[in-house]
Amino acid sequence: MLRFIATRLLQSIPLVIGVSLIGFALMHLAPGGPLAVYTLNPSINAQDIERIRIIFGLDQPIHIQYVKWATGMLRGDWGNTFFGGRPVLDVILERVPATMLLMGSALAVAIVLGLAIGILGAVKRHSIFDYLATSGALFALSFPTFWFGLMAIYVFAVRLRWLPSGGMFELGEEDNIIDLLRHLVLPTAVLGLVITASWSRYARSAFLEVLQQDYMRTARAKGLRFHQRLLRHAFPNAVKPLIALLGVELPFLFSGALVAETIFGWPGMGRLFVDALSMKEYPILMGMIVFTALFVIVGNLLADVAIAAIDPRVRLA
Amino acid sequence: MTETMHSPGWSRRGVIAGAGGLLLPAGLATPALAQQNTDRIILGMTQEPVQFNPLLYVNSGTENVPEACMFDALWDIDDTGTFIPNLAAAVPSGENGGISSGGLIWKIALKPGVKWSDGHAFTAHDVEFTYQTIMNPGVAVRSRGGFDLIKTFKVVDDLNIEIELSRAFVPFLWAWQNMHIVPKHLLAGEANINTAPFNTRPVGTGPFMLRSRTAGSHTIYERNPNYHRGPSKVRQFIHKVVPDQLVLYGQARTGEVDYMALAGVPNDRWDEAGKIADRDMLILNSPNVQFIYFNCGKPMFADPKVRRALYIACEMQKSIDDVYFGTYQRTLSYLSPAHWAYNAALVDETPNPELASRLLDEAGWTMGPDNVRMKNGEKLHFTMSTTAGNPSRQATEALFQQNWKRIGVEMEIRNMPASVVWGEYTTRSQFDTLLVAWDPTVGLDPDYTARAHSKQIPVQTGVGSNYTQYANPEVDRLLELGVTQTATADRKATYAKVQEILLQEVPFAPQGATRQAHLKKKPLQGVKPNSYVTDITWNVQDWGWA
Repeated sequence: MLRFIATRLLQSIPLVIGVSLIGFALMHLAPGGPLAVYTLNPSINAQDIERIRIIFGLDQPIHIQYVKWATGMLRGDWGNTFFGGRPVLDVILERVPATMLLMGSALAVAIVLGLAIGILGAVKRHSIFDYLATSGALFALSFPTFWFGLMAIYVFAVRLRWLPSGGMFELGEEDNIIDLLRHLVLPTAVLGLVITASWSRYARSAFLEVLQQDYMRTARAKGLRFHQRLLRHAFPNAVKPLIALLGVELPFLFSGALVAETIFGWPGMGRLFVDALSMKEYPILMGMIVFTALFVIVGNLLADVAIAAIDPRVRLA
Repeated sequence: MTETMHSPGWSRRGVIAGAGGLLLPAGLATPALAQQNTDRIILGMTQEPVQFNPLLYVNSGTENVPEACMFDALWDIDDTGTFIPNLAAAVPSGENGGISSGGLIWKIALKPGVKWSDGHAFTAHDVEFTYQTIMNPGVAVRSRGGFDLIKTFKVVDDLNIEIELSRAFVPFLWAWQNMHIVPKHLLAGEANINTAPFNTRPVGTGPFMLRSRTAGSHTIYERNPNYHRGPSKVRQFIHKVVPDQLVLYGQARTGEVDYMALAGVPNDRWDEAGKIADRDMLILNSPNVQFIYFNCGKPMFADPKVRRALYIACEMQKSIDDVYFGTYQRTLSYLSPAHWAYNAALVDETPNPELASRLLDEAGWTMGPDNVRMKNGEKLHFTMSTTAGNPSRQATEALFQQNWKRIGVEMEIRNMPASVVWGEYTTRSQFDTLLVAWDPTVGLDPDYTARAHSKQIPVQTGVGSNYTQYANPEVDRLLELGVTQTATADRKATYAKVQEILLQEVPFAPQGATRQAHLKKKPLQGVKPNSYVTDITWNVQDWGWA
């Protein structure tokens, strides 16, 4: 197992290099740049902009800029932001907990509900429940997240006054877990709704396929009860593609909550990414590209390990 | 026009506005949710400050808040346009002997007994260090405007400074007003000030001290008990970030924020906001003016008659009324009508499509077969650019496009992301026309050398910000004269003439001076809209609860 993990991590090195190289090139080849934000400062002039270009190292050829950035990364130096001069890793890491919390809770809700709805839909195919679940999923996937967000704020924060309208906590209540949970409910529910919808569809398809397999018929012929067939035979087989899917989707979860973060004022990574993108904050963007690439690798690795743990036919080598 | 403005497609912004329209009047007009805490003030903005070093910040307006909370300049400017001493004992002038008769020698006496919030004494060496940092080529200082004219900087003693300028420059007062002093004892040993820990853990002489910053959420400041102008009226000042303007407006109404500042109440909600009980809506006359920029370096815009024709064909007032709900103030100059140097004698000729057509005929642009004017086989066709995704600006462009189509001019809207349009596309004068809003260039001084002097065209000389490539020897002469005149009346006359010429030759066509509406709780006292600064917290030490 350890050898497998080590091999996979070694194999991922060229992948990270490739991703960073492509990301760096695309960012710099795209029109515009970080100096544009200075142009809107009325007191700044051409000399000032040129001076700042040199300080940021943007006057150097792109390949030199990349080598400098990459050698810094090898030393563990993720660079400093252009605007603020802060270490990039600190800027990213300070946003991770908020995003992990929001996305983790939304995902947990979605997996539990999505699997339950999907399994039930597959088992009771063409039933009223199945039709309702299908229609509900289509409804949830068709409407934009911000609409659900605004409606949730309107109903639960404005009309009923049950929950706060936004933020991560009341000012001055930063250490109050109950307050944090109250703030977490609405964004989790809104994000969870959308993810549940898609996961219920994946789960339904996966279970439908498995339930029609010969070994399921054999299990039934053996006289196994329904829950035994489902848990012992169907579940391990149907859940494998879902685990693989989760491994691939994990990194997207870190940037996928942008709309919810904006509507609910949640201080996560999605907003950081968009802010950095609009200002062409190359160091933050590169940091997030590498961070996301690492999560793709780790996510896939975890998925492979989990599948091997579930399915004894899969051997990690 | 109305259709254009209200049919931007099924955009996120549009739907939020629509949904907000449904929910706000019904729900958020109800009494405040939060119990008022009179020991703190919560200021809400849509953007977040990321830079606390006052010499390095980029995003003025937002990053002015930490600057005003934690730092001081030598002098401030109040809401009447009068300079008032801050770290200086007095504002230097000819009358008090602070400025020599030729305007070259400036003597500045500092206030005694001022301390940094860590207890160190503030001295003239801190001012000297601030100047040296501004001029340090390795530091990404946002501007050196005015400081580059300093020939010698002499520390006479701990409380006195003598500065010699290479030439007289009256706006020098603005340069210091706009630059806050940083501590030498904390920064002098830094190898790289751009990345110094001080930039996120600053120490200043200002009325508040940084307590904590929660990224993406808020920043908390605590009162500086030893503030040299007396302790602030509240113990805590909180700068809260609410990224969506409508959500922030909702929080201002429910009481979750005490004062909603940038980006202000949405233009279409001014009437509603002005009627909310227990709230004051403050109108800020911003120094920011929105223009059409013509690139005079392009052959079709070289003739002033063409630029003037295009300008007077535009329905400027209609654009303000229909697109900005009348919230902008029509101006005929690069200055807001509220500015002391504004030339009130200027006459608005817009819209006058008949005169515009005549001027184009005189300039040799005659109507072609497809109703587009031509000259020497070239069509009068050009592009207009601004930041993509700004519905108000898009609607303004669409209106001007219609106005110009009526006189045989073809304009193509070509908007781009901010990081593109305001990059080399602007600074290297690659555009045809731009729709852009800018403040004056040296504080709120009427000097406009950087934007209108012929030696300030970056694409030709590598200096300045005259992106329109406008050149007029008389304007050059007047601009050079204006910065040497010490009498206000003389300056007013000089800049009135500059404005008159610019309105005739139209390198940039003024549309309107932007205004913002802020919303605060009625009991919050001391907030004074100041059209002479971009910093709404300029007097934050005076804010408190009734």
